[in-house]
Amino acid sequence: MPVRVPPPIRRVRAGLRGRPRLPARLSPRRSRLFLLLGLLGPGLIAANAGNEAGGIATYSQVGAKYGYGLLWMMVIITLSLAVVQMLAARMGVVTGKGLAELIREEYGLRWSVFATTSVVVANVGICISDFVGVSAALGLAGVPTQVTAPLAGLGVWLIIVRGSYKSAERVFIWFTIPFFAYPIAAILAHPHWGAVGHSIIAPHIHTNSQYLLLFIATAGTTITPYMQLYLQSAIVERGTRVEELGHEQADAVSGAIFANVIASFIIIATGATLFTHGVHSIHSAADAARALRPVAGRYAEVLFGVGLFGASLLACAILPIATSYVVAESLGYEKGIGRGRSEAPVFVSMITGMIGVAMIVAMIPGIPVISLLVAVQVVNGVLLPINLFFIWRLAHSEEVMGPRRTGPALNGVAGVTVLFTSMLSVLLVGATVFGFV
Amino acid sequence: MDSAPPAPPILHLTMITGTPLRDGDGAPLGKVNDLIVRLGDVGYPPITGYLVTVARRSSFLPVERVAHMGTDGVTLDKAKLDLRPFHRRPGEVLLRRDVLDRQLINVDGARLVRANEIELAHVTGEWRVVGVDTGARGGLRRLLPRVLGRRIQTGGFLDWASVEPFVGHVPTVRLSVSHPKLAKLHPAQIADLVEAASHSEGEEIIRALGEGDDRELEADVYEELDDQHQVEFIEDRSDAEVARVLTHMEADDAADLLAEFDDERREAMLALLPARERTKIRSLLGYDAAEAGGLMSPDFILLSAELTADDALREIRRSDLPHELLGAVFVYGEDGEVDAGVPTVELIRCAPQATLGSLVEHDLPRLAPDAPFEEVARLMADFNLTAAPVVLDGRMVGAITVDDVLEAMLPKGWRRRFGLLGED
Repeated sequence: MPVRVPPPIRRVRAGLRGRPRLPARLSPRRSRLFLLLGLLGPGLIAANAGNEAGGIATYSQVGAKYGYGLLWMMVIITLSLAVVQMLAARMGVVTGKGLAELIREEYGLRWSVFATTSVVVANVGICISDFVGVSAALGLAGVPTQVTAPLAGLGVWLIIVRGSYKSAERVFIWFTIPFFAYPIAAILAHPHWGAVGHSIIAPHIHTNSQYLLLFIATAGTTITPYMQLYLQSAIVERGTRVEELGHEQADAVSGAIFANVIASFIIIATGATLFTHGVHSIHSAADAARALRPVAGRYAEVLFGVGLFGASLLACAILPIATSYVVAESLGYEKGIGRGRSEAPVFVSMITGMIGVAMIVAMIPGIPVISLLVAVQVVNGVLLPINLFFIWRLAHSEEVMGPRRTGPALNGVAGVTVLFTSMLSVLLVGATVFGFV
Repeated sequence: MDSAPPAPPILHLTMITGTPLRDGDGAPLGKVNDLIVRLGDVGYPPITGYLVTVARRSSFLPVERVAHMGTDGVTLDKAKLDLRPFHRRPGEVLLRRDVLDRQLINVDGARLVRANEIELAHVTGEWRVVGVDTGARGGLRRLLPRVLGRRIQTGGFLDWASVEPFVGHVPTVRLSVSHPKLAKLHPAQIADLVEAASHSEGEEIIRALGEGDDRELEADVYEELDDQHQVEFIEDRSDAEVARVLTHMEADDAADLLAEFDDERREAMLALLPARERTKIRSLLGYDAAEAGGLMSPDFILLSAELTADDALREIRRSDLPHELLGAVFVYGEDGEVDAGVPTVELIRCAPQATLGSLVEHDLPRLAPDAPFEEVARLMADFNLTAAPVVLDGRMVGAITVDDVLEAMLPKGWRRRFGLLGED
């Protein structure tokens, strides 16, 4: 009988001899490292894509205007996001179907077409703002938009269309590394940590309309419909089994927490610098980076630039994918990252078209990004409550989830979260369209 | 309204649901909610009744009581209406609730489609489901107001004969493979469908295979599934069921599948296999996949050099091995040692009475079970072999066929249908 060679040695040997690497029949299937890496998945990617250009602008605004004053609400928003993302992950694992698919099966074609249309409109808008964000980040280093945007577009397109789901996911996880620029920037800004801690646990609520508006805008940019849509569809594409439900939920929750911790560091960094130096008016993420330079030094600008670049690039990739998933699911077309044009024509064309449109529009000089984001906010604000309502109901439905439907406790928590988030969402739409609050 | 308009050849389901229910005199009684059909019979499934809302209560209306159905509504044959609550009878599904908007198997294209519309026609005296619309038009019709929608013609029509719905969510119906539609597919196509469908839908297909009586088909489908899905669908099944599938699988595929489980489960399954199969699989499990032992199949034909070509051909005809293992027969000499293989084509071409010994052209270098993969590939290429014997202590233990080598040599990106960066 042949002697069994331990897998690592076999691998080295195979590499040296240039032999094709074949999996041994009796190799241990999963190592502990794999389990740990399993925590880094679609949940992390989905939530972090929310820290894109628009998000950074909002958080910087919050920090510049009120210092640490609004930090306490990040706790509430994080909890809400974690619950919602967890439900989406759960449904993806249990049903093996995307959210748009489930909406269509349970609530009919009209609802799913309504959701799809709003997702397409809102996501194209966000995608444009992110191509602007990528360009603005490199613009800080003097690279012109006409170079950055096409390169970013092409790169993202190649990753999505020419790779496989696994390879794309790995690249996206690398995209989250630049986010660490924000904690570093926050630490280097020497905030008064005692004051930071105090404002997290002791909320001081102002009642002026500016404060409230910023509050609901932050909630709106942190919890966006595409996060749940992307997460659920990505889990389906990953082919996660029900036994791994725990992992996938942990990934969703930890992803939500990580994303919002990063967001809080943005608030802390700008609060410690811009706020204390009396720079209260910030309009975009690149604005924030530029404003940091005179008050916090060159390093702060660079760190903010790096963060903005990574975040926007991630969102530039996630938004077209999320949109195409939804379109393919609700209209019943083939889907899948890495599929060719002949295999999933609608899915691939959608991704290509969306990247192309967003890239070209982003290159138009003087594009009014702010008004674009306001419009997006309205569409998302209308869509989010509907989306959340469906998630809440579907996750509790016996017919859809079988024995793994949400129990009474989780269902209650989810209900409160959905109600709270929807209320903020409706307020945001009201504030933007009718100007009240 | 004095006379009903002539019935159009095809009715769309969504043009009927939501229309009024009228009594024999034309007075409105309520609303039509859904149509009930009975699946399982051969041919187009007939409509057996309606789900209607009368006075805000949902009730069942058997098809015998209906005189007319059209886009203007459903009319009763009499003025009177006796209402009964709806209970599903075996095989019955609700068209709108259970079939519309859900996944279906398109048996012709071997892919999953979604029903945007369900088409009905009056065939052989009954209203029946004749097909589904998977095109954009069917969807558009439902989005537009009824007045505009009814002008839209059927787009991507798919005959019901080539459609198999998933019905796992319906308690009284089960997908059955005795149904000729699924059995029409190649095992590889069924495997593709299982991989493309959601877990519960895949489960439905697998379960249908398990309930059918074609054990070979079930095993073939498992062979074609990728590792991840094999484990996914076999994990929840009892050891006895798994053993039943394993006995019908090729030994090397069975070994690959068993290798995915932990020791305890693997031993439990092995213990349920017939002794012959168990020994074969157990010996295969001991080999490294990158060596001759891991590539080989333990099934082959080994004959004495004294026998004639005619004998060998008879042996091949009698064998129930898959054809790829019958590309050559192997020959042993007086000393009992394996000499070489004789290609089947050579057996056909030579004189029927020629002895196998005379057909062996030259001795081959021996392949031991631990021969590295390169050596196997090189040997087969140099000697133009489609099958090579693997020998351990002078005894032939297996044969490596060219398709196994080809599979192992496929470059990383080629194995999957797509992707430059694609991996296995």
